[in-house]
Amino acid sequence: MASWKVRYPLYQLGNPQLRIFRPNFFMTLVRPGVPQPEDTVQFRISMEMTRLDVKNYLEKIYNVPVSAVRTRIQYGANNKRNHKNQKVKIPDYKVAYVQLGQGQTFQFPNLFPEKKETTEPGSMEEIQKQFMENERQRQTADPRRGGVTDWFGL
Amino acid sequence: MAARPRRRLLTRFWLQAPPAACLSGLTLNLLHKNTTKVEPLYHCKFLHTTLSQKGLEEFFDNPQNWGETVVKSGDEWHAKHLRNKSNEDLHKLWYVLLKEKNMLLTLQQEAKRQHLPMPSPERLEKVEKSMGRINLVIQEREVALRLLQTGHEKPRPGEWRNDFLGRTYWYNYKEWPIPWYLNKKYNRKRFFYLPYVKHFIRLRIEKHLKKQARMKNLEKKKQLLLQKKFPHLAAQSQN
Repeated sequence: MASWKVRYPLYQLGNPQLRIFRPNFFMTLVRPGVPQPEDTVQFRISMEMTRLDVKNYLEKIYNVPVSAVRTRIQYGANNKRNHKNQKVKIPDYKVAYVQLGQGQTFQFPNLFPEKKETTEPGSMEEIQKQFMENERQRQTADPRRGGVTDWFGL
Repeated sequence: MAARPRRRLLTRFWLQAPPAACLSGLTLNLLHKNTTKVEPLYHCKFLHTTLSQKGLEEFFDNPQNWGETVVKSGDEWHAKHLRNKSNEDLHKLWYVLLKEKNMLLTLQQEAKRQHLPMPSPERLEKVEKSMGRINLVIQEREVALRLLQTGHEKPRPGEWRNDFLGRTYWYNYKEWPIPWYLNKKYNRKRFFYLPYVKHFIRLRIEKHLKKQARMKNLEKKKQLLLQKKFPHLAAQSQN
């Protein structure tokens, strides 16, 4: 988000269009909380950005065709308290719903798929894993007892 | 960027065919009257555009890195390396870093959402610092050029002024659409102090000098203590 303090020149009627060379505005693609239509992408943007800014940003920097943008400001709660009973404010943020052009669709992918842990045969991790497996087997009760605990004799 | 794996650009994870049923008549229109109405092209199933999602893919990392707990990344850009680059190169690098930061922010948010740790969060710091250094280098160049052309160091004009408490500070000029004598808020501000403030200026100077003397004394005392504790090291430092 635009964290560095930048002072823009005052605009008066007739002035040329303001252009920024190195924009420090960032956009976060988020997974929508409520299911959205397939061509809609949800972003969290800086408070100072407008719909036109979002459209230009995506078209110029990412080369993504944009047909429409809608924005809203999400209010962050101010009723939480920390361990010192001081009020803690959750920061507000702006959300942009971008509808892609040219019939494109978008589905938020799964960024944390479960991966198989493959360990090398001679490594330390393999030895540790083997050791833990052995310990776990020792802890389990004899299956021939049929779930009966050791408290009962025999 | 050193040792950064190249991303594959043509993967088609999210190119889905729109549903067969045409729902255009059933979508609730809760939007404001003036917003542009854009219905998704449900009826254009036969017009399947094979545009690969090159654009939005850049918000995500290389798919091979998804699910990893540690993602290797190279060193950050330092000022001395950036000073050797041209302005165009710095401009391009800025946008590369911007896209990288956007990618990392999306990853961070998704990790929070899934209650999982973000893989290699130090990448964010690296990118932020590199961007700060680019700004620094460009500002240095601008200052040098401005000094040669106009003789001024700062882009924004200003001057030293006194406030009503007798403190001297650098006042940056502000842009107003009206002249100063019509500016009510500005006219209420006092850039001068009355004679009774002189005594308090003197007290302030005293306080500042006392603090400096205290810090100097403390340093001296610490050095003496160290010399007493470790006399052999004092002899070494002299050599």
